[in-house]
Amino acid sequence: MATYFIRRLLLVIPTFIGITMAVFLITHFVPGGPVERQLMRMRAAAAGGEAAAMSGGGGRPTVSLPEDAVEEIRRYYGFDKPVHVRYGEWLWNVLHLDLGNSYIYQDPVWDIIKSRFPVSIFLGLTGFLLSYLICVPLGVLKAIRHGSRFDFISSGLVFLGYSVPGWALGTALLVLLGGGSFWSVFPLGGFRPDNWEYLGFFDKVTAQIEHMFLPVICYMVGSFATLTILMKNSLMENLGQDYVRTAFAKGLDERRVIFVHALRNSLIPLATGLGHVFSLILAGSFLIERVFNIDGMGYLGYQSIIQRDYPVALGILVISSLLMLLGNILSDVIYALVDPRIRFK
Amino acid sequence: MTQADPEQSISKVAADTAVVAHEWQQVPGVPTQPASESILRKRFRKFRRIRRGYWSFLLILGLYLASFLCPYLMNGTAWLVRYEGQFYLPTFTYYQASTFGQELFGEPDYRALKEQFEKENAGNWVLMPLYPYGPNEALLDLPGSPPHAPSWEHPLGTDDRGRDILVRLAYGFNISLTFALLVLLIADGTGVMIGAALGFFGGKLDLLGQRFIEIWSSLPFLYTIIIISSVVVPVYIPGRMQVLQPSFWLLIVILAAFEWMAITYYIRGEFYREKSRDYVAAAIVTGVSQPAIMFRHILPNSMTPLISFAPFTIVANIGALVALDFLGFGLPAPTPSWGELIGQGMENLTKWWLVFFPLGALFSTLLLVVFIGEAVREAFDPKEYSRLR
Repeated sequence: MATYFIRRLLLVIPTFIGITMAVFLITHFVPGGPVERQLMRMRAAAAGGEAAAMSGGGGRPTVSLPEDAVEEIRRYYGFDKPVHVRYGEWLWNVLHLDLGNSYIYQDPVWDIIKSRFPVSIFLGLTGFLLSYLICVPLGVLKAIRHGSRFDFISSGLVFLGYSVPGWALGTALLVLLGGGSFWSVFPLGGFRPDNWEYLGFFDKVTAQIEHMFLPVICYMVGSFATLTILMKNSLMENLGQDYVRTAFAKGLDERRVIFVHALRNSLIPLATGLGHVFSLILAGSFLIERVFNIDGMGYLGYQSIIQRDYPVALGILVISSLLMLLGNILSDVIYALVDPRIRFK
Repeated sequence: MTQADPEQSISKVAADTAVVAHEWQQVPGVPTQPASESILRKRFRKFRRIRRGYWSFLLILGLYLASFLCPYLMNGTAWLVRYEGQFYLPTFTYYQASTFGQELFGEPDYRALKEQFEKENAGNWVLMPLYPYGPNEALLDLPGSPPHAPSWEHPLGTDDRGRDILVRLAYGFNISLTFALLVLLIADGTGVMIGAALGFFGGKLDLLGQRFIEIWSSLPFLYTIIIISSVVVPVYIPGRMQVLQPSFWLLIVILAAFEWMAITYYIRGEFYREKSRDYVAAAIVTGVSQPAIMFRHILPNSMTPLISFAPFTIVANIGALVALDFLGFGLPAPTPSWGELIGQGMENLTKWWLVFFPLGALFSTLLLVVFIGEAVREAFDPKEYSRLR
């Protein structure tokens, strides 16, 4: 089995190169990149200066910049080299843990990304833990009381949860509870209040909860339906198995059969999902972060694309795709660990 | 069973051919029925018995068909104008405002014309559609500034450019659903082709294809779509005009390009399994051509994942379109869109109707489609749970 996982790990390399190469190619050929942006800025500056000097003298439609200035800007951003050389250099730097500098902020990309980690981890971890804490018991209860009124009503909730995207629910909650035209229960957004440093411990806790409440609900809506149903179906399936029949037949208590025998086995599919916990926690959702104006990883990635800040966008891609690829493998490792019947070859 | 077990639908369901085989098994000694019903018809009958799903299906189908009549039911252009003894059909022909003696440039203002004719009472009349406002019509003559609150005349209010929200929601429903269906069609078409080839031919092609799919599906979906669509958002650079404009079709192709992998996996698996069955061997022996074996013999037996996933894919497509529109990377500007309205609402948080009504439309549409999907899955891929006690 070790050889299987070593092979899987080795396969991460070509996949990683494939992913980054695809995105790198796109960013290279996108119009409106950093070079054009800089040129436009300079042209505007030049045109503005001249217009001021001529003051209403007709004004020329375009201002051409000297060829060597253009060339220098291209060199500054590395766009003077062919794309494969640029990609090679970028990859080489990434291997040396250097993600380059942001076009916009001029800071190292890694520092920018690192500064967003606490926000994303805090939010992601809370949402993750809460959704497991709610969905697993709910799924178990639904399975035990399959067909009952409780099952029916909670299924309605599950349907609702599946039909509304988390970020869209967020917009409704903001309008309803964020102090628009209805109630002003929760703050409009942001991760923490502006006066965070001056707050006492107790105030910090309440302020944090107030700011996190709505976003965390939106995070959870996404996994609520799938996780609950996965739990329910998995337990239902196990309850129909022969070993459960045997346990009942030898006279075991129903509680013991369900919670000791069946539940343990039906947690297996959920355990495999744990492999992706890191990418879930770190990557976050840029839609939810955008709705609530939270400066997490997701929002950073979104902004970097809009502003054509490609080193940052690529840096986030590197981190998120590595987490996902490794998460896939981790899922399988967990799967093999918790289920001794599973043997990978 | 009247109330189908609702929730299994959501978990991904593996196609279960064992069940298919079961339905065909006949007990020896029992006389067979005269004509066997086709399995598809059997499943459709079962689908119809699951009432919630079936009614949702009829409702959505009806609404969707009706929404094609939007240009005739909800529009600022009159159906029929009677002017100076002559009939005009403005829905089908374009008339200058001067045709009806109105002092305007371009299209006549039919609502004003109607009022004017009624006041004159000179035998001229205008027959307006049921709801006389167009989707891209800025109603700037209303009192107050643009996002107008709901009123009797505009039950859902207007958006920040003074366009009637009810009309835009109705047109948006048609566009969203058409969009989702087209993406589904293209993605499934591609997915079936590639999946069939991988599963049927196997070998090196299969290996290469799987690697490619792994890379392609590892690209972060919405993130990459935003990079691509942000390329296509018109950027005005002097001396270099935009080649590609963001358009309906471009967005469909981009979305489909990221979606075909999901079905490819299943079709590949189905073909892989079906390939070794006797009927395929029989077809090969009788000299049926390869494409015919693939698409006439194997494909109809591999339709289960295709059909049972379709409603959930539609849900995902509508969700993706609304999200993209919300972010401003979706359909080009004047297109009526739910996501764009929600985006407006985020900028005017006190104007609740900008958020609640499009969300309500999105939500109820998705809910209906989920009901359909749950019933389809129940009919095509039944999973019986037996439990002691």
